[in-house]
Amino acid sequence: MADLLFCSHYPFTQQAKEYAAQHRLELSDSIVEKAEARLQDALASGRIKKAADLPSAQEEEIAIYAVARMVVSAANNRYLIRRYALAEAKRAGEYLSSDLSSHPEYVEAVAGELGLKFEKQQEGFLIPFAQYLLFTPRSVDYKLSNRELAAGKVRVGKQERIRILEEAVRKRIESSLPMKADFPQSISLAAARISALIPRLEAQAVRIGQENYPPCIRKLLEDLSLNINVPHTGRVVLAMYLVNAGLPDDKIVELFRPAPDFSEKTTRYQVEHIRKHKYRMPSCSTVDGYGLCVAECRCGNPMNYKESVHGRRLKELEKERKA
Amino acid sequence: MSMAVHQASKEEEFLRKLFSGFYTSCQLGVSKPQQREFGFGGWEKKIEFRHIGVKGEAELRARLVSDAPLYVSYSVAYYEFPAARPMVKKNWLGADLVFDLDAPAHSCGKFTCGQCLAQVKRETIQLVEEFLVPDFGFSQSEISVNFSGSRGYHVHVVSDAVEQLDREARREIADYITGTGLQFDKLFWEEGKKLFGPRPSQGGFGGKFARSFLARLEDGSFALSISRSLKDPAIRQKMRRAIEEGNWDPIGIANRKKKFQEKFSSMMLSLSGRIDSNVTADTSKLIRMPGSLHGGSGLLAKKVSMAGLEKFHPMEDAIAFSSGEAKVKMGEPVPRFSVKGEEFGPFEAGETRELPLAAAVYLLCKKAAVLE
Ligand SMILES: [Zn+2]
Repeated sequence: MADLLFCSHYPFTQQAKEYAAQHRLELSDSIVEKAEARLQDALASGRIKKAADLPSAQEEEIAIYAVARMVVSAANNRYLIRRYALAEAKRAGEYLSSDLSSHPEYVEAVAGELGLKFEKQQEGFLIPFAQYLLFTPRSVDYKLSNRELAAGKVRVGKQERIRILEEAVRKRIESSLPMKADFPQSISLAAARISALIPRLEAQAVRIGQENYPPCIRKLLEDLSLNINVPHTGRVVLAMYLVNAGLPDDKIVELFRPAPDFSEKTTRYQVEHIRKHKYRMPSCSTVDGYGLCVAECRCGNPMNYKESVHGRRLKELEKERKA
Repeated sequence: MSMAVHQASKEEEFLRKLFSGFYTSCQLGVSKPQQREFGFGGWEKKIEFRHIGVKGEAELRARLVSDAPLYVSYSVAYYEFPAARPMVKKNWLGADLVFDLDAPAHSCGKFTCGQCLAQVKRETIQLVEEFLVPDFGFSQSEISVNFSGSRGYHVHVVSDAVEQLDREARREIADYITGTGLQFDKLFWEEGKKLFGPRPSQGGFGGKFARSFLARLEDGSFALSISRSLKDPAIRQKMRRAIEEGNWDPIGIANRKKKFQEKFSSMMLSLSGRIDSNVTADTSKLIRMPGSLHGGSGLLAKKVSMAGLEKFHPMEDAIAFSSGEAKVKMGEPVPRFSVKGEEFGPFEAGETRELPLAAAVYLLCKKAAVLE
């Protein structure tokens, strides 16, 4: 017997999926409407409201979740996917916190489903260090150097365990989207309405002189403007380039605004840090090593691209070949 | 990059021929060669050509024999298409976790001396025995160590647990080992008059400190530098019992936090500055291929078992050429060195000598001599 309360709290689990499959949850207008509201919440506030724990609402929650995933998939936008996954993970985190006292077995079940191997200890829990590194933010609070690490396991507290679960939920949901399928018209229409709410911040102001930017930098800017998440190294490389290219801080910060997890304070701090320490642009081979090179422009360093003797030399070579 | 025809010197040709011969019959034993990127180097550059892919060990050997590189590197990463360019097209599948330990800068310069080699060997053992096994929980079978062929050692960890870790996670591992970001303040906290701190049984640097501290408590001058009352064995015993429970001040120590902090710093519990964190964090790093020859010394980047590491001496155990002689002329003063227990030098610049092949190769690779 499926546990309906569990499934409604954690609709991303296998058990919830099976419940939905067995009970042929219907795709009514009201469910689509509620799924749309769930996505609006996620987009606007980064949160999803918890529903009342009533049996009728519980089954509905499972259906709403399934439909919301369809709408997100039909919209197929990286920013929406990230923002939505983040909001679902926060919602799950809230349930995990409250279930900790009333239904501790739920927390165990979610951890098991996500493949997280927590071992209960007298004080806190132990978790394999690789999972710890995978699902904790790289911040002072989680610095491995200050942690109790022994026999491959790190000790974490009760709250930290919830935080790790939340991050694992986020990654799970994000990597499972978009689903590839043909969606009914009601879903496509909802997707179009939601898509209209996605912030489009790729200001034209950004486009100054971009034709002079090397392909790797153009790709990073393009990803950012399309709300695609750019990894940390990519952001640093981009910021280094823009600082070295002579863009003022304000303009650089604006370029980062479309990132799904944009924080003005952090971005500004990092840009100022690069400027203050006069970080030089890394070479092409370093950039390639980061997996950010998209074309073999052979200019040695992205900073050279514009003046690149190379562009000219290539033309000369071509001329020679023709002659 | 210029494609100018490079006129190989007599010495380079001589070495390449020797290396090629060596590769025809040496043991290779590279795991998953078809998923790795290889890099070959020559007289001028340690990596001249990269993005080299092979179908298997036979093709790798054939290329080593025909190209006769003076340096051979391979990627710590596994790729679906190791030869593809740019990097993103290789399709990264995972990577070994590696540590690069180098001898410290020392007056011995390019003729790395015995003390320097011994020190970096000690640190390599420390990395494995104090960090990788007890803290990170790797088993001995997941860890392999090889001499770098020059001034240090490489430690490769091949484990499903870490294969997928990204750069930032790997840097976090390196930071732990080097004690980067370690905050002493996080280990101790005060509650009224009491001072609580790490127990010897706990993991991480707290436990390392507590164990190291207790081990030294019987040392008279160490104990006295904490408190005069620790002269009394009964008080020391009381202190020991308390620390085992995480209570670090059962006896009223003046300036206790400052004293503990000083002890903590002086114990050098981390491998601070001894591993190159950039190498560990680089998930597409090309690193000396274990079992290959190092063109800057002619020595083998030989794999060494943990049990054999203590007794391993590069100038005896990493020698690739055991027979033959060559006549060389010194291009610079050469300090005394030994090969397989036999001592050579010191030589003066301009001196000509007939030397056993391994010793001659060593000097030629160091560019300290030319063929006569
Ligand atoms: Zn030395």
